[in-house]
Amino acid sequence: MSADAGPDAPVPSPDFPHGGGDLGALIRAFDWSTTGLGPIVGWPQSLKTVTNTLLLSPVPIVLLWGEDGVMIYNDAYSVFAGRRHPRLLGSKVREGWPEVADFNDHVMKVGLGGGTLAYKDQELTLNRHGGPEQVWMNLDYSPVPDESGRPAGVIAIVIETSERMRAERRQEEALDRVRQSEARFRALVNATSDVVYRMSADWLEMKALDGRGFLSDTETPSIRWMDEYLFPEDQAAIWGAISDAIEARGVFQLEHRVRQADGAAGWTSSRAIPLMGAGGEIVEWFGAASDITARREAEQHLRLVINELNHRVKNNLAMTQAVAAQTFRNAGSITDAQHSLSSRISALAQANDLLTGARGAAVSMTGVLDQATRPHYPSPERRRIEGPDFSLSPKTALSMSLAMHELSTNALKYGAWSGQDGVVEICWSIYPPERGGPERLKLVWTEHGGPRVAEPSRRGFGTRLIERGLAAEMGGVVQMRFEPEGLVCVIDAPLTVYAEEGAA
Amino acid sequence: MSLRILIVEDEMTIALLLEDMVSDLGHEPAGLAMRLPQALQMAETERLDLAILDVNLDGRLSFPVAEILERRGVPFLFATGYGSGGIEAPYRDRVVIRKPFSLEDLGKAIDRVAA
Repeated sequence: MSADAGPDAPVPSPDFPHGGGDLGALIRAFDWSTTGLGPIVGWPQSLKTVTNTLLLSPVPIVLLWGEDGVMIYNDAYSVFAGRRHPRLLGSKVREGWPEVADFNDHVMKVGLGGGTLAYKDQELTLNRHGGPEQVWMNLDYSPVPDESGRPAGVIAIVIETSERMRAERRQEEALDRVRQSEARFRALVNATSDVVYRMSADWLEMKALDGRGFLSDTETPSIRWMDEYLFPEDQAAIWGAISDAIEARGVFQLEHRVRQADGAAGWTSSRAIPLMGAGGEIVEWFGAASDITARREAEQHLRLVINELNHRVKNNLAMTQAVAAQTFRNAGSITDAQHSLSSRISALAQANDLLTGARGAAVSMTGVLDQATRPHYPSPERRRIEGPDFSLSPKTALSMSLAMHELSTNALKYGAWSGQDGVVEICWSIYPPERGGPERLKLVWTEHGGPRVAEPSRRGFGTRLIERGLAAEMGGVVQMRFEPEGLVCVIDAPLTVYAEEGAA
Repeated sequence: MSLRILIVEDEMTIALLLEDMVSDLGHEPAGLAMRLPQALQMAETERLDLAILDVNLDGRLSFPVAEILERRGVPFLFATGYGSGGIEAPYRDRVVIRKPFSLEDLGKAIDRVAA
């Protein structure tokens, strides 16, 4: 090429640009006469130089030439352009990228005005692959002067950062989810009243425990946690359950005793799960433990109550058996026996009513005598009860009640209450014995106004119960005298005033 | 062989039944104690071949009575409404009959203890 070659010596330039990859070939073949640039032969040297330079760059570069910003770009940019390429070549930038026409309009004005623009991670919505797509780019625009030194075009280095930005965004979202999950976890830990704890993979070390006032806190890792929280006699069994969970790599779950913050024994329901690392190994255990002390105490109390109830039922059956056996042994006839038995079982049941208060509750002497005789007397004025009230033990009350039942049924069948006018007097007093010692009780049951009485030919169960049973019960003497005017029963025994359990 | 048997039982009706049963089995009731002090005294002083002990005597346990009988070489058996769990350690292997019991139960228990 000679230095004086002018426009009027048109030389086809099939050699321009030299090389330049796919885009070099496309530019050579393109009919530039359809654009504002005209055929390549007419291009100013400045345009050719820049074109050659950008074609050699591995970085996506586009040249926007003239007022219209006619586009010339390299292979790297064609990849960025997607399906817009190859139509983009030689097109006006505002038409080639209609969705960002305003943006490019600004670029052209600034660039042709001699200014530069730089955008980092600029977010744009492009339509490169048949649909709108959110992309991020680092964009650097510089003016390109022509031979006169005035800006004739704008060169843009376009580096897409979408992939990095998406990765960053994904990471940010993941972090956000972790932060939310962490916040939810904190809320859960704060909302629960459970003790929360963390253990090392082998449970030898407690990393932390928030005791919630139920247990003492462990704030720094401790290998002495067993002695801190567990009683020595429980440790082996609890460690057994822990070892099983470690071996199974499963849930640890156990109700066990613990030493509470105040040192007292309590009960907890504890549950921990293993947290696994990326390699599937246990990293640590996370657990929660609730305070079930009150529930365990209630269960224990209930067991005691059930045992006691069972005992009382057995005892009552044994008493019923005893009463039945002796009723039949002494009965004149089956009818008599049936009648006596059912009446005695009623008396037992009523006496039991007296005792159904709390175990060990005292029962009043007057109450026992009234309750045992009331079902039998023909009218209230035919029974007189008089004496100083005091407390009996439940056991003595039961015996007294049964004895009074026997005396009452006897009075109703044969004695003062069998006729129209007879009266029963039940009087008692407390007196000091002549030779000193504890006070004594003397109770006298006296019947008058009934039919004349004769000594019975044989002693029945009732008589035996009173004379022998009640005497042994009270540790005294009980005497029955069948006097002609009426039966007299005298009970003389040491006074045992029952002090309620727990009373001083 | 007729045995003199001490009956320690705090429930009046059951005590009387035991007296009857002991007699029916051909033995002789040697006494009836319904409270601990009385039982201790009778265990110490009565001439006895055997004793039937209720475990709970109006809230007090009868094991001190068993101790006296043990020292005197008098065999005994327990009668209780509780299971054998209610028996204190030194006497766990002793014969226990559970209330309510039949005449046969009592007879067998007496024979075992007396043997």
